[in-house]
Amino acid sequence: MHDKTVRRRRAVLVLLVVLSLILLTAYFGEASGGRLHSVQRGFLTVLSPIQDGANKALKPVRDLFGWIGDTVHAKSERNQLVKQVDKLRREVIANQSEKHAYHELLTLYHLDNRLSVKDYHPVTATVVAKSPNIWYSTVTIDKGESAGVRVNDPVINDEGLVGKVTQAASDGAQVSLITDSSVGISARIGSSSATGIVQPKVGEPSDLLLQYLPANTQANRGEYVVTSGTVSSPDDSLYPPGIPIGQVTSVNEESAYRSVNVHPLADLHNLDVVQVLSAAQGSLPTSLGRLAASLPPGQRLSAGGQSGEALAASGSGG
Amino acid sequence: MSGGSPASLLVRIAVLAVVLVFFQIGVVSEVPVLGVSVDLSPLLVAFVGLMCGSTLGAVTGFAVGLLVDLALVQTLGVTSLIFTVIGYWSGRLRELRDPQAALTPLIVGATASAASLVGYSLMQFLLGVDAPVSLELVRQIVLGVLVNTVVALPTWAVVRRALEGALPEDPRRRRRRAYTTGGLSPLSRA
Repeated sequence: MHDKTVRRRRAVLVLLVVLSLILLTAYFGEASGGRLHSVQRGFLTVLSPIQDGANKALKPVRDLFGWIGDTVHAKSERNQLVKQVDKLRREVIANQSEKHAYHELLTLYHLDNRLSVKDYHPVTATVVAKSPNIWYSTVTIDKGESAGVRVNDPVINDEGLVGKVTQAASDGAQVSLITDSSVGISARIGSSSATGIVQPKVGEPSDLLLQYLPANTQANRGEYVVTSGTVSSPDDSLYPPGIPIGQVTSVNEESAYRSVNVHPLADLHNLDVVQVLSAAQGSLPTSLGRLAASLPPGQRLSAGGQSGEALAASGSGG
Repeated sequence: MSGGSPASLLVRIAVLAVVLVFFQIGVVSEVPVLGVSVDLSPLLVAFVGLMCGSTLGAVTGFAVGLLVDLALVQTLGVTSLIFTVIGYWSGRLRELRDPQAALTPLIVGATASAASLVGYSLMQFLLGVDAPVSLELVRQIVLGVLVNTVVALPTWAVVRRALEGALPEDPRRRRRRAYTTGGLSPLSRA
């Protein structure tokens, strides 16, 4: 009985395998119009309506699976798009920063031409730190002595005068802004020849006061205040003439000297790129320095210890 | 299990095969998972063999393979040959070992899927299909086995539920059941 079962089982297997091989060989060997192909086409003809009906009936199930698949796919796609948006946002921010820097540099370039500050060897620097207090009286720039920056060098930006260098290291410098109490600038109003000293206004560090003007000085609101090209004290720097400082906001006549309130042109709260006017060939300080060096040894001041700028300072007298 | 007639079992297998093959063609094939589609056909054949034995497994494999080849307009005989071997092998596994572990369907399903995918690829190469043996093919086979393994247990549950009432009594299982849980157990007599 057992042998019979085994034999029958093996016979069935062999039969089916042989049948499969015959089908395979016959199907593979015959032309597309052969008998097996015809049977297959006939089966397909019969099956098509059933398949179509089953397809329609099973559509909701397929849609459900598709919806699940789409949801999973949408989630991964969303994550991918979020990453892409982040990347593009970073690129946009970088582009905007570069565009901003480009415009600042372009304006500085035009300022160079307009004010003829090229002779002062402008050194372009980026503000890397700002004074954390609300007065914003000092900023740190990324250029120092290695780039030719020295103490008392004037600092400008595309809008006008910013301040002067008060500390210089090898690769960085500290700039005191024109609103810092230690800074005093010899200035004049527009085309007037009368000069005064621009200093921060007491109690209003964002505003300036142009004082010590002659009593007969004519000043109108909105007029520009520019550097006069002289120094206000022996220790001060020599600002090139004609650099805009601010605009007159009001005139005070309560004392023997006339003074005017000045609003700085430079946005000192948003400094980014500035230019340090390092003394250069052809500038007044350098010329005076060369003059001092050319004097006979007996006539040199303190064995040549004084700079041209000090000479200029002592010569002009503020 | 009360035991059913062979005709009833054959009818159930036939209905199950047709329904599953249509479900496979109409729905499952159109829902890609990890870039591949689940193939219920080898699972069906293997589970029928695992429940009904080698002869019925082989016959079911041949019939399902023929149905698939006809419905999908493929080379007749290829799928039949592979599924015949799968059905016979899973049936012999039951006859020789009769595995009762809960994970048996999972392992049988994975093995049947792997045999189906590898066997089909081999047959295609033997028939002269000009395709390179690439990493992509290996990846497709591995992923196919993986997703089929995932659906093996639900498919096993469906096949068992469909066929359970029509299976003939198995003397070996009856003996085992009587010894462990029935009145003949020494524990129950004590």
